Amino acid sequence: MFEFNYVKAKSLAEAQAFIAAHPEAKLLSGGMTLIPTLKQRLAQPSHLVDIGGLAELSGIEVTGTQLAIGAATQHFEVESSAVVKRAIPALAALAHEIGDPQVRNRGTLGGSVANNDPAADYPAAVLALEATIVTNKREIAAADFFQGMFATALEEGEVVVRVRFNIPRRAAYEKFRHPASGYAMAGVFVAEGATGLRVAVTGAAAGVFRWAEAETALAKKMDPAVLEGLNLDATDMNEDIHATREYRANLVRVMTKRALNKMLAA
Amino acid sequence: MSHPHAANRREDLRLITGRGRYTADVNLPNQLHAAFLRADRAHAQIVAIDARPALARPGVVAVFTGADAIAAQYTQFPNLMSFAGRNGGQILKPERPVLATTAVRYVGEAIAMVVAESALAAQDALDAIAIDYQDLGAAATVEDALAPGAPQLHANIPGNLCFEWETGDAAAVESAFAQAAHITKLKVLTTRVAPSPMEPRGSLVSYDAASESYDVYTPSQGMVMLRKQIGTLTGVPEARLRVHSHDVGGSFGQRSGVYPEHGALMLAAKRLGRPVKWVGSRAEGFMSDAHGRGLEIAGELALDRDGRFLAARYDFLCDMGAYLTPTGSISHLRNPATLMTGVYKTPALYGSFKVVLTNTVPIAAYRGAGRPDIAYAVERLVDRAADEMKIERSELRRRNFIPPDAFPYKTPTVGVYEPADFAGCLDQALKTADWSGFENRRAASRQRGKLRGMGLSTIIEATGAGVFPKDQVAIEVDAEGKLTVFTVSLSSGQGHETTFTAVVADTLGLPHTDVTLRECDPAHDLIGNHTGGSRSMAGVGSVCKVAADKLIEQAKPLAAEALELEPSQIDYAGGVFKSRDGDRTISFAQLAKKLAGRQPHPMNTLAEATVGSTWPNGCHIAEVEIDPETGVTEIASYVAVDDCGIVINHQIVEGQVHGGVTQGAGQMFQEHVIYDRASGQLLTGSFMDYCMPRAGLVRDIDVGDHPLPSKLNAIGAKGVGESGCTASLPALANAMTDALRPAGVGHLDMPYTPSKVWHSLQAAKTHQSTQKK
Repeated sequence: MFEFNYVKAKSLAEAQAFIAAHPEAKLLSGGMTLIPTLKQRLAQPSHLVDIGGLAELSGIEVTGTQLAIGAATQHFEVESSAVVKRAIPALAALAHEIGDPQVRNRGTLGGSVANNDPAADYPAAVLALEATIVTNKREIAAADFFQGMFATALEEGEVVVRVRFNIPRRAAYEKFRHPASGYAMAGVFVAEGATGLRVAVTGAAAGVFRWAEAETALAKKMDPAVLEGLNLDATDMNEDIHATREYRANLVRVMTKRALNKMLAA
Repeated sequence: MSHPHAANRREDLRLITGRGRYTADVNLPNQLHAAFLRADRAHAQIVAIDARPALARPGVVAVFTGADAIAAQYTQFPNLMSFAGRNGGQILKPERPVLATTAVRYVGEAIAMVVAESALAAQDALDAIAIDYQDLGAAATVEDALAPGAPQLHANIPGNLCFEWETGDAAAVESAFAQAAHITKLKVLTTRVAPSPMEPRGSLVSYDAASESYDVYTPSQGMVMLRKQIGTLTGVPEARLRVHSHDVGGSFGQRSGVYPEHGALMLAAKRLGRPVKWVGSRAEGFMSDAHGRGLEIAGELALDRDGRFLAARYDFLCDMGAYLTPTGSISHLRNPATLMTGVYKTPALYGSFKVVLTNTVPIAAYRGAGRPDIAYAVERLVDRAADEMKIERSELRRRNFIPPDAFPYKTPTVGVYEPADFAGCLDQALKTADWSGFENRRAASRQRGKLRGMGLSTIIEATGAGVFPKDQVAIEVDAEGKLTVFTVSLSSGQGHETTFTAVVADTLGLPHTDVTLRECDPAHDLIGNHTGGSRSMAGVGSVCKVAADKLIEQAKPLAAEALELEPSQIDYAGGVFKSRDGDRTISFAQLAKKLAGRQPHPMNTLAEATVGSTWPNGCHIAEVEIDPETGVTEIASYVAVDDCGIVINHQIVEGQVHGGVTQGAGQMFQEHVIYDRASGQLLTGSFMDYCMPRAGLVRDIDVGDHPLPSKLNAIGAKGVGESGCTASLPALANAMTDALRPAGVGHLDMPYTPSKVWHSLQAAKTHQSTQKK
């Protein structure tokens, strides 16, 4: 780790002003990606501006048909929130499956979404629930927000403030953990909401995506059996020393089936 | 259920509440900090190195390079190979400067060392060192290193082949194979793994100019062995080397040997006149701590028509990495050779070995050190033979066990086995595991869409006989009658504080808490071996018994004097010396107090014994269940029955078996050091990619004792440190083979990753459907 200066911001505006004045400064929320990056000496920020726990980035509340969660909300708060469990129990369950207790007590929703790690869990829920990402500048639909590996629609100086999830009729998440890192090797969030059934996949490819063929087939017949033999192109799946792309494609199919079974059984 | 010998470990409260004292916890006044620049490529010539810019960085005191290593002649590492090879050839030893000079030969090899006022300053300055490399091709595998035209790692080692050796009787094996009714062949890999102890490697070295001596604080497996090795590397007389190891967070063989960093830090401490400390990161560990295993073994077994073994031969390819560690070559030859017959009567045996250098991290002994590898080859071969000949697996083993009346059994290679009860261990394990009820469980799994398999292994090990001719134990008595036991072995989790003190206290009839253990105290220098090869209870624990017995005999005349009796009239029991008639008594503590004025205390005792190999053995049975949709395997049940001789503390035996089985299961299902074959880059350089086993991998292990006392040492112990690894590799692989066979899957090598298992099932399915067409 290189030396850096630590700044605790009292408001988002203050943090933004500081970042604007210090081009080498970086925002720090839970730090679950940033800190390991620093430890590997892969980044050398001049300052870390801590926005963790800011009131304007906090809070969990249901408004009408939506559940809004502040960007600085830690995974543990999401998994244990009575409001989340009542509104979208699958989201609480997803949060409970992230990393380990240490990670869940540091890492935040906003950090996960803004980082868009291709193996992160939250992006699958954000996409399947057709959530809205509220930033300090605008509102972005989930479909427009995620743009491939570690890439998002966020512009320079734009900060995620909260995420508004559409509350589905029912939903479920299933993931296959990477045997070493524990990240999703394939994670599938299925949700049935106002616009129909959504199947969002994380971990298997360069970025989170919706499995359109599955959504179409299941719209015709809500039966996990329709997934067998359904087209799922392995070409764009990730391949590495742990798993081939064909294996990952298989995991997507199996996790989708299991998520559906879980959703239908609930 | 409480076990009669299952006292809680005395060291645990200290260790699990953060009060352990590891190398990183040690600091000396005025110390400096070192950081190492390591090779970022597998094989290259160092054309030029410019360290001067690093010297200009803030806080930097000095930079050391290969030139310093050459000037000090820190270039020859010890190697424990004790016999000649084919045609009398000696092992060809590569030169290994503690900092690379003309070439780098594996990713992670230390090239330069920056010494600075802080660890961060030292790390920051590494970037300023400029190296001009000329890349040479990399040979990351044994096949590539032996191929014609392969890149040559060392000028003095043609073809990268540093040793060839054969053992057994090739002609007898040849003629037995000619007459065999059946021959079974199988080639297996025991893959390269990164042992990864919890405590990262590190060292702190100080130099005293007045006495020209060094204090080396470092994790080790015992100070005498490491001191000797440091002496060999540096030429510093052992009398001027003090090795300090207090608590060590796991060793597994990886902490047994001298490393380049020891020598480099000694150079710095001497030249700079200040202590120099280095604490490695986990990433450095993956690329510079010795790896384990890395063997290819091709086996052939000849049987008669009744399934009786006639002969076996094995061909070994041993990957040693880029340089020879002290233990890697000897342990990967001697242990497989000693145990090549397994637990079976095999009249003719032959083994041939090739020791090969590759552009990878050097390999050292790792928990079992060749014992798991040969057990894996033998037990998989036996299972395959049973399948081919349609003889039930336990029955084929039973038919070939060395019978009870054959002990001591001289094997056709190099070992003499002490008595064992292979059939007894097998029976106990079969019963505990409900072997005969398995097909019902398999059917139940099939109902749930799962593939279930059961596998067993019956194994034997030779414990480490040690490098030094004897093991000494000293006992010191204080004025309160409390005892301190001194040894030069070292616990890195084995629980010596519990077991060694129990042996002494129980022999003396004193409370365990009256006895304290001090290991590897440089002020109490003794002759003795390091902890390794499952030897410490048999090899040192037994000397604790000898010492306690000696103490009693030594104290009897002193008690007689105190009681005004003839020594022959004194008995000792339950902590009390008493006259034969029982009228006059003096307790151990009273006598100790009475004699406390004399220096040294006359009850102090030094005892020693020479303990060679003992022969732990056992039967493990694993049951696995595979989810064919994902290729994920669960270990459904695991039964271990071990004859580790007399058990001093069952809880510690359980702990050793749990740890060994978990490391075995880790290797079998997920752990694997992977290099990119073309570039020699390490692809599994962190826990994000190297699949360390987690607690859930092995959930419940039934550990049963089947003790047959050893007559080779004073307490009847045989050892248990490595049996978990040795028995679990074949038991788990045989269970996997059994589970996959009905689905049409043939031989697979470890590790059984979900991806590999799923692909093999897909391939079998495709094969079967083509066959139907």
